[in-house]
Amino acid sequence: MNRLANFYSEKEAHILGAGFILLLIVLWELIPHLLTVSKGMSLFFTTPLRVIEAGYQLIVENKIQEHFYASAIEFLLGLGLAIIVGLPLGLIMGRSRLLDAMIDPFVTVFNATPRLIFLPLFILWFGIGMWSKIMIVFVGAVFPLLINTYEGVKNVDRVLVNVVRSFGANEWQTMKIVVLPNSVPYIVAGLRLAIGRAVLGVVVGEFFGASKGLGFMIATAATNYKVDVVFVGVAIFMGLSLILTMAVKKIESNLARWRPEEAKTF
Amino acid sequence: MGIKAIYQEHYRLILGSASVLGLILVWELMLTFLIPLNPFFFTKPSLIAVAFKEQVIYGALWGDLAVSSKAFLWGFSFAVLLGIPLGAFMGWRRRAGYTLDPFFTALYASPLVALAPLIIVVFGVGLLAKSVLVFALSVFPFIFNTFAGVRSTDPLLINVVRSFGGGEKDLYFKVIFPTTLPYIIAGARIALGRGLVGIIVGEFYAASEGIGFAISRFGDTYRLPEMFAGIFVLMIAAVVLTEGMRKLEAVLAPWRTTEESR
Repeated sequence: MNRLANFYSEKEAHILGAGFILLLIVLWELIPHLLTVSKGMSLFFTTPLRVIEAGYQLIVENKIQEHFYASAIEFLLGLGLAIIVGLPLGLIMGRSRLLDAMIDPFVTVFNATPRLIFLPLFILWFGIGMWSKIMIVFVGAVFPLLINTYEGVKNVDRVLVNVVRSFGANEWQTMKIVVLPNSVPYIVAGLRLAIGRAVLGVVVGEFFGASKGLGFMIATAATNYKVDVVFVGVAIFMGLSLILTMAVKKIESNLARWRPEEAKTF
Repeated sequence: MGIKAIYQEHYRLILGSASVLGLILVWELMLTFLIPLNPFFFTKPSLIAVAFKEQVIYGALWGDLAVSSKAFLWGFSFAVLLGIPLGAFMGWRRRAGYTLDPFFTALYASPLVALAPLIIVVFGVGLLAKSVLVFALSVFPFIFNTFAGVRSTDPLLINVVRSFGGGEKDLYFKVIFPTTLPYIIAGARIALGRGLVGIIVGEFYAASEGIGFAISRFGDTYRLPEMFAGIFVLMIAAVVLTEGMRKLEAVLAPWRTTEESR
């Protein structure tokens, strides 16, 4: 008994946290057994077991794979493009006073605006195929990356930069030896935010004028009252974003143990 | 003071406005003289300005803005009213924090927007569904920032208040609230951005009015100048709100100058 109590007090946070989530899932499953769901409501209602069953069916019948691949490609291409553009631009803005002052107004305005507003425009420009989604993922993800890279460069120790300069390093070498390694924690933090934005872009982009993708699957399932399929899609998005953000978070905490704890942001 | 000194002092403002003006000018001139304008595909600043003026004078856009603001305010207010007490409770009661933290973290990290079609099917097209969407997206920054704020309260200060005979009320108003406030404002800024996403998705998806609906309708009907005017209106609103929140943050918590980027 004592050992059990010890175990509990050691792992209290995990036990309570996991226990609560399990409890909610079990309660959700039990709702139809505990109270009668009215006919109208049952249209919108499903239980965890039915969601799992629907997910299994979709996989077995090979119906979900195509949607999954479409979403994955949009996510990867959009995020990759954001990294290719955001990182160098952030580095340049951090190192050049002139370019910083010239680009800053655009960055501030676009960062404050929810970039999803450009979706109708992108559909007009890039069509209803994959590219309008890739572009919406790109504009969503590029700003957190750019801004965090910029912050990282700005926070580099002046003394270190001066030392390397005194020993005759040129701009490129300064960048490689001091600036880039010191900005890595910031860049990784930016990547975590960018992943969230990218997933958002994929989901919303596929809601409108798409013919495949998990977002499209969710939207069509909702209009057809297939609530369990909606939740299959939501669960996949949830799982993937959780895994990705946790992985990046892990890297982040390994890289920057000295940074004070901040409130959670996603 | 010489020109050089003025430039040195305000170089950011000068260069910034110069690049914005320059871009507008290049955009206008390119499409006037260099590239033939295809009105179904692109537009130029002078046409946007005309559309903007029309929209503002005849007021079509104001109505849409009002509709969107209403849904936003409902959802956001409920997020404040529910999120702050919940976060404070989680921060103040250790076990409550343990219990609720993983669950809310999972919801916060996942794209709840994916539920939008279902929310709209359940709550119908209109104010309620949009408000629910805004609420669902913007409640978590309030919960987690209040949570972090309350937890960051200095135990020493709490002990001091207790030693001098302060009651529960004094603790809340003299220690916990002032410590937490800057966190809450920072959370509000994040929640603002997420709430705007909620409005836009709700109105893109299914709506008959609102700024997001207006923009997507103009897009569908190839009225590009009007569409750009709508986008600019939304941009202005977003910048004013975000920068306002930032100013508020600086006034209420001048010591918290470090920024996590948003």
